[in-house]
Amino acid sequence: MVIDKDINEQIKWAQINADVLRSMENPRKAYWITFFICIAMVACAVVAEIYQYQTGLGVTNLNNPHMWGMYISTFVFWIGMSHSGTLLSAILHIIHADWRKPIYRFAEAMTTFSLLTAGFFPLIHLGRVWNFYWVVPYVSSRGIWPNFRSPLSWDAFAISTYLSASMLFLFIGMIPDLAICRDNAKGFKKKLYGALSLGWVGSDRQWRHFRKTYLLMACFLIPLAVSVHSIVSSDFAMSIMPGWHVTSFPPYFVAGALYSGCAAIITLFIMLRYFFRFEEYMTLAIMEKTCKLTFAIAMVWTYLNLIEFAATWYGHDPYAKEVLISKATGPYAWIFWTMIFCGSVVPFALAIQSWRRHMPTMFVVSLLLNLSMYFERWMIVAPTLSMSMEPHQFYIMYASVVQWAIVFGSFGWFGLLFLVFVKVFPSVSMYEVKEMVFHRRRLINEDAETALHRRTGDTQPGLTQPA
Amino acid sequence: MSLKNVFENWSTYRKGAEEGGYHTYEHRWTMAINLDLCIGCNACSTACYAENNLAVVGEKRFAKGQAMHWLRIERYWDEEGKDHPENGASFLPMMCQQCGSATCEPVCPVAATYHTPDGLNAQVYNRCIGSRYCSNNCPFRVRYFNFYSYYESAWPEPLNLQLNPDLTVRDKGVMEKCTFCVQRIRVAKDKAKMENRKLQDGEFVTACAQACPTSAIVFGDTLNPESKVGKLWKQHQVKRGVYKQTKEDPQLRGYRIFEELNVDPSVMYLERVRDTTI
Amino acid sequence: MIGKMKRRDFLKALGLGGTATLAGCDLPTTVTLEEGKEDVVSYLLPDEYVIPGIAVWYASTCTQCAAGCGIHGRVREGRVLKIEGNPEAPINAGKTCQMGQAGLQGHYNPDRITTPMVREGGKLVPTTWEKAQALLSEKVGAKASLNADRVAWFTGTLSGHQRALVSNHLDAIGSKQHFAHEVVNASVWQAVSRDMLDDPMPRIRLDKAKLILSFGADFLGTWVSPVHFAGQYAKFRTAADRGALIQVESKMSMTGGSADLWVAIRPGTEGALALGLANYLVANGVSAAALSAEVRDKIAAHDLQKVAATTGIATAQIERIGKALKSRNPSVVLAGASVEGQAQGYDAVAAIMLLNVLLGNIGTTIEPSGKFPFPQLEAKTGGTRDLLAFAQAVQQKQLDVVFVYGANPVYSAPAALKLDEQLNNVPFKVVLAQFPDETAMHADLVLPVSSYLEDWGTHVAAYQAEQSQIAVQQPLMQKLYGDTRGFGDVMVTLLAMRNAAQWGAFADNYAYMKNVFANMKTSVGQAALSADEFWNNSLQTGMVKVDAPVRKHTVKPVVPNVAASSTDAAYPFYLVPSPRMGLYDGRHANLPWLQESPDQIAKVVWDSWAEMHPSTAEKLGIAHGDVIKVESEHGALEVKAYLVKAIHPDAISIPLGQGHTEYGRYAKGRGVNPLKILKPITDTKTGELAMYATRVKVSKTGKQETIIRLGHSDTQHGRRLARTVSVDVLKRTKGA
Repeated sequence: MVIDKDINEQIKWAQINADVLRSMENPRKAYWITFFICIAMVACAVVAEIYQYQTGLGVTNLNNPHMWGMYISTFVFWIGMSHSGTLLSAILHIIHADWRKPIYRFAEAMTTFSLLTAGFFPLIHLGRVWNFYWVVPYVSSRGIWPNFRSPLSWDAFAISTYLSASMLFLFIGMIPDLAICRDNAKGFKKKLYGALSLGWVGSDRQWRHFRKTYLLMACFLIPLAVSVHSIVSSDFAMSIMPGWHVTSFPPYFVAGALYSGCAAIITLFIMLRYFFRFEEYMTLAIMEKTCKLTFAIAMVWTYLNLIEFAATWYGHDPYAKEVLISKATGPYAWIFWTMIFCGSVVPFALAIQSWRRHMPTMFVVSLLLNLSMYFERWMIVAPTLSMSMEPHQFYIMYASVVQWAIVFGSFGWFGLLFLVFVKVFPSVSMYEVKEMVFHRRRLINEDAETALHRRTGDTQPGLTQPA
Repeated sequence: MSLKNVFENWSTYRKGAEEGGYHTYEHRWTMAINLDLCIGCNACSTACYAENNLAVVGEKRFAKGQAMHWLRIERYWDEEGKDHPENGASFLPMMCQQCGSATCEPVCPVAATYHTPDGLNAQVYNRCIGSRYCSNNCPFRVRYFNFYSYYESAWPEPLNLQLNPDLTVRDKGVMEKCTFCVQRIRVAKDKAKMENRKLQDGEFVTACAQACPTSAIVFGDTLNPESKVGKLWKQHQVKRGVYKQTKEDPQLRGYRIFEELNVDPSVMYLERVRDTTI
Repeated sequence: MIGKMKRRDFLKALGLGGTATLAGCDLPTTVTLEEGKEDVVSYLLPDEYVIPGIAVWYASTCTQCAAGCGIHGRVREGRVLKIEGNPEAPINAGKTCQMGQAGLQGHYNPDRITTPMVREGGKLVPTTWEKAQALLSEKVGAKASLNADRVAWFTGTLSGHQRALVSNHLDAIGSKQHFAHEVVNASVWQAVSRDMLDDPMPRIRLDKAKLILSFGADFLGTWVSPVHFAGQYAKFRTAADRGALIQVESKMSMTGGSADLWVAIRPGTEGALALGLANYLVANGVSAAALSAEVRDKIAAHDLQKVAATTGIATAQIERIGKALKSRNPSVVLAGASVEGQAQGYDAVAAIMLLNVLLGNIGTTIEPSGKFPFPQLEAKTGGTRDLLAFAQAVQQKQLDVVFVYGANPVYSAPAALKLDEQLNNVPFKVVLAQFPDETAMHADLVLPVSSYLEDWGTHVAAYQAEQSQIAVQQPLMQKLYGDTRGFGDVMVTLLAMRNAAQWGAFADNYAYMKNVFANMKTSVGQAALSADEFWNNSLQTGMVKVDAPVRKHTVKPVVPNVAASSTDAAYPFYLVPSPRMGLYDGRHANLPWLQESPDQIAKVVWDSWAEMHPSTAEKLGIAHGDVIKVESEHGALEVKAYLVKAIHPDAISIPLGQGHTEYGRYAKGRGVNPLKILKPITDTKTGELAMYATRVKVSKTGKQETIIRLGHSDTQHGRRLARTVSVDVLKRTKGA
C-alpha cells in the first residue's frame, strides 16, 4: 500500500501564492472554447424558456398525471450537489480534518453555484412565473400571505437562507485570499480585490475575529444543509402519493445529496488539478481520502435505499408496493437498475487503491456516480406520478425537447459560473493551505515551527519565509 | 389569524375532522352517485364542458394527456380470465370529491386552494401560480392544469359566444377542477337571500346532475334535513369525518373512494349491482 | 323561471327574424381582458328584454336526433348559453343527452354556411338570396316547366309543420317523391310491429319490466328514444324487485355495458337464437296455442343444439337466458339495428317479436301507442330503403330537381352506389344545409338554414311517450347571421312561388305558424283560449298536448324465415358499423365537444378504430394499435386495431361518424367511414340496406399508430373504485 503525504510540507509560501495566482491569469484557448460552449448551452435554455413562457407549460409534454418532470428532478439534483461544499467546508472543518484545506474552496463555490442553478427551476416550472413572488411573505394590499403549511413555501425559505448563508460563507472564507490577490494585482483588479478584501491586513485581531466568524458560520451552515435537503425531500414526503410518502426521505435525500456532492468534488478535483496543474495541492493522498469519504457515503446511501425498499415491501401500503415493483420492472426499470448499479456497485471502484489513484478512472467513476444520482432523482419523481392511486390516470410522460434544453442549459449555466469563478477568485485557498503546511511541518519538526512564525520586523506578511 | 385568536379558541381548532373539524359550515354540498344507474353515456361530462367553459384541447394535446375534462367517466373491465365481459363494464363518474380534509389544500404554496364554509374545496384561479403540487397530491388525480392558453384555439368565433359569463375562462398556468358548479350555488344563495328564505333542496343542481338521463347523480346539502342526498347518506349509513365506516349493516351499498386515506370525500358512491342469479 | 317582461312583445321582437342587432353592445371577440385588445362595453342601451346578468329560460325542442326531447335554453344578454331538459316534456322529463348538450356548438359552429352559394363554372361561389330566389323561381316556380314526378325531396326524419310544408310543396308541384333517410333507424322494427301488432311504433315500458332481453338494441344510446328509455331504465333498476338486463349482440354497445349478462353472438344469427329461446320456452310449458302451425313448426325446427351451433352460444347459456325469460315477468324483448341490418333482418326481428308474443308482453310491457290525430304532422321517417331508391332513381336519370334537407346521402351512401358521381345526372340540386357537408358540396344551389336554436318549428316524434304532443321549437336568440333563413321561411317562399294566392299571405314561417296555431287550438281542445293565449302557452311549455286515442293491438305473428348462417372463406369476418351516442351517424362529427367526448366503451377520441377480439388478433398476429386494412368486396379502409374482449371473435367493429371529406375543420379528413365499404344487399322483406351483413377480410399494413383514448388502465388494479355487489345483497338491504 502506498501512503502519500497529504501535502508537501516543504512548499514555500510564496510558491503557494504564485501557483494559485497563476491559475487566475488570462485564460488559454481551451478555456475560451469551454466558456463559449457553456454560453451556447445557456442560450439553448433561454430560447426554450422563452418559448415555454410564451406558449405555456404544455410544450414540456407534462400532463395529468405527470405534473412534475425533469424540472423538479433536476432541481433536486442541483440542490443535492450543493451539499458538497457544506460537507467539505463546514463539517470537515469542525472535525479538524485538515486535508480538506486545498479543495474546499472550489467545493464551496460549487455549493453556491449549484444553488444559483437550482434556484431557477422552481421558477421555470411554475405555470405563472411572473407571480412567483407571492411565495414570499410580504405585506400585500390583499392581506394574503403564502400558505405556510406547504413544503414549497418552506422550500422558498430554506433555499434562500441556504443560498445567502453559503454565499456569505464562501465570501468570508475568501477574505484573506482576496487580500493576497489585492497585494499581487495591479490597476483595476487591485481596486476590485481591494474592495472585496474589506481592508484585510492580517492583524492578530482580524485573524481572531475571522476564525470565530468562520467557525460560527460553519456551525450555522451544517444544520442548514441538513434542513434544506430535508425540506426539499418534504416536497415529496409530505404528500400522500405512494412512493413519496416515506419517512426516511429526509435522511435519504441528505445522504444522496452528500453523495452527489462528493462525486462532483471528485470530478472537479480532477479537472482543476489537470488544467491548473495543482498536483502539489490536490494531491493523490487527498484524492484517496475524498474517495474513501465518497465510498462511505455511497454505502450510507445504499443502506438507506435498502431501508426504503424493505419498509415498502414489508409494509401495509399496497399502492406503494406496486409502485416499487413498477420501478424495478416497469417502463422505468432500465433507469432504476442503472441507478442501483452506478450508485451501489460502481463505488466499490473507490475501494481499490490502484484505481483510486488513477485519475482517468476516477473521473469516469465520479461521472457515473453523479449519473446514478441524477437517475435517482428521476426515479423519485416519475414512477410515483405514472402510477399513483387512480389506475385510470396511470400514464407516462416523454419529456420534450424544451425540458431537455432547459436541463441541458442548467449544466451550461453552472459551468459558466464555475469558469468565471476560477478565473476571478482563487480556487485553492491559499491561506488555509499555508496553515496546513504549517501544521504538517510542526508535526515533523519543532524548530520549523519557530522558523515559520513571523518575526517582528518583517516587512510584508506572507511574502518571504526562511526555509 | 392572531395568536390571541388561536389561544382563545384552541379547543375548537384542536378538533379533528372526526369531531366535525373546526369549521362551522353553513352548507355542506354533497353528492351521491348510484353506479347501478350510471350507463356511461357522457351526458354529464358534456354538460360540464358547456357549463364551465371547459376547453376542447384537440387531438394532439389529448394524446399527450393534457385534456381538461373535470368530470370523466372511467370505464373498467372487471373480469379477468373470461373470454367476454359477461357482466358488462363498470362506469365510474369521477370528479373532484370536495374532500373535507383535502390533501390538495395544505400543499399549495400561495394558498390558492382552500376550504369554503360551504364544504367546497375552492380553487382561486387568480392566486394560482401553477406549481402543480395540488394536482400531484390529489389521490383521485382530478385536478387539471392549463398547459396552454387554450382559449386561443378552443373557441374560434362564434363558438366563444357560448361561453358562460358566470365564470372565467382560464389562462395558461392555472389549475382548475370541478367546483360543484359553484357559480350556480352562488346565484341560488343570493336569490334566496334576496327573497329572505332558505335554500330549498332541488332548487338548483350541478350541471352534471341536471343532465344525467337516469338521475344517477344526486346533489344537495346534507345540512338540510329535507335533502335527498342527506337522506341517501343516512340510508346507507355513510358518515363524514371518518376514514373507515362502521355501519350497522356493512352490506349497505354506499361507500366513498379512497376514504381510508382520511381525505373525507363529499361524494358517496352506491355500489354497482349485478344480477348473477340469471 | 321566465322573466317578468311581456312575453308577446319579446316574441314579436324575435319573430321578426330581422336584421336588428343588439344595440349598444360590442360582443367581445376575445375572452380575456389580459389580452388588452378588447374593450368590454357595458350595455348602455340594452334591448327591452335583456337584463344584463340575469338569465332567462325559454322552452324549445332539440333536433340533434329524431327523438324530439324538450329543452330549456338558458339565455343571457341575448345569447343562448346552455341547454337543459324541459322537466315538463313527456319524452325526456328534464334530462338531456350529450348530443343535446352539444347542440350549442352546432349553432355557434365556426364552419356554418352563412350565405347562399351557387355553382358557377364547376365551383360553388357565394351569392345573394335575391339571385338564389330568382334561380329557384326559374327552376321550380309557378312558371317553370316541370315534370312533376321528376322533382323530389330527400330529407332526414321530418315531422310537424316542416313535414306539412314539404308535403304541401310536393303537392303544389304534383310530385309524390319524398325520400326520407336515416342511417340510425328502427325501420324494420317498425315494419314488424306494424305487421304483427298493427302498431308501427308501440310504446315500450321498461319501467314495468323485470327483465329486458335486448338483441343489440342500444336503447340507452342510439335506439329510438334513448333519453326517454334511460328515464324508464332508472325506474327499472330502482324498483323494489330490481330488473335485470340481458344484452345479446356481437359488439358491446353502450347499453351492453350496463348488462347483468352480456352475451356475444355471431353476427346475423340473432333470429336463430330467438327461435331457439322460443323452442325452450315452449318445451318448458309456455303455451304456443295462439300461434299458427307454421310458426310452431319453425320454433320446433330450432332445437337448442342447432341454435348453439349456428350462434356459437353454448346450450347451457341459451337455457340460462330461457330460464330467466320464463321466471321473470313481465319481460320485454327488443331488437336493434344489428338484427335489422341483415339480409333476413325482418325475419329475425319477427322471431324476436314472437318472443314477446309468447311471453305475454304484448299489452304489458309493449303497449299500444296512440294514433296521432294529425297524420300530416306525423313523422315521415325512413331507414336506408329510400337512400337505395334514391340512388337508383338518380342513376337511372329519373330526377331533374332534387331538394335535400336534414340528410347527407353523399356521406352515408355506400361507395358501391357511386352516388357522388351519379348525382351529376340531376341537373338541379338544391341543398338546404347549416354546414358544408359532402352533399352540400355537390349541390348546384346551397341555401343556408338557421340552426334550431334560432328558428321556429314543430316536431312530432315517431316515438311518443304516454302523453302525445306536438313539440314546439322556438328561437332562443336572434339569428347569428343575417343571410341564413329558417327552414320554414324557405318553404314558405318556395310555396309562394308555386301558389302565390294561398301562400303569398304569409310573410314568413312565423306568420304561418301563428296562423296554423290559431287554427289548431280547437282541434286540441283549447278552444276556450284566445289565439294569443294558446300561442303563448305552447311556447311557454314547449309543447301542445294532444289526445291520441290508444290503438288496439291485433297480434298477427309472422312466420320468421330465419336465415341459416353463412361462411365466406374470402371474407371471414363480419363488419359491424356501430353508431354511438355522440357522433351518431356522422352528423355530429363537426361538434368539438362530441369529438372530445370518448366513445363510451372504447374510450377513444377524435379518431376511428377497428375493434377485434384479442383471440382473433392473436391468430392474425395483430397488436393493439397496428394499422390494419379492412377490406370488403366494395372497398378497403385503413384503420387502427383496438383489441377488446367485448366483441364476438368473428366480428370487426368500426364506429360510424368519422371519415368526412368535408364538413368543417373538426370533421374533415379524420378517421374512416365504414358505410363506404358496405355491400349493397338489402333485407328481402323491407328493402332496407343490410348494414350489418357486409363481410370483410383483415390484413396488416405494417404501420403502428397510437390510439388516443381517455384513461390508461382498463382494470382497477384491485383498487375497488367502482365496486360491484350482487343483487341478493341489494334485495336484502333494500338499498335502492
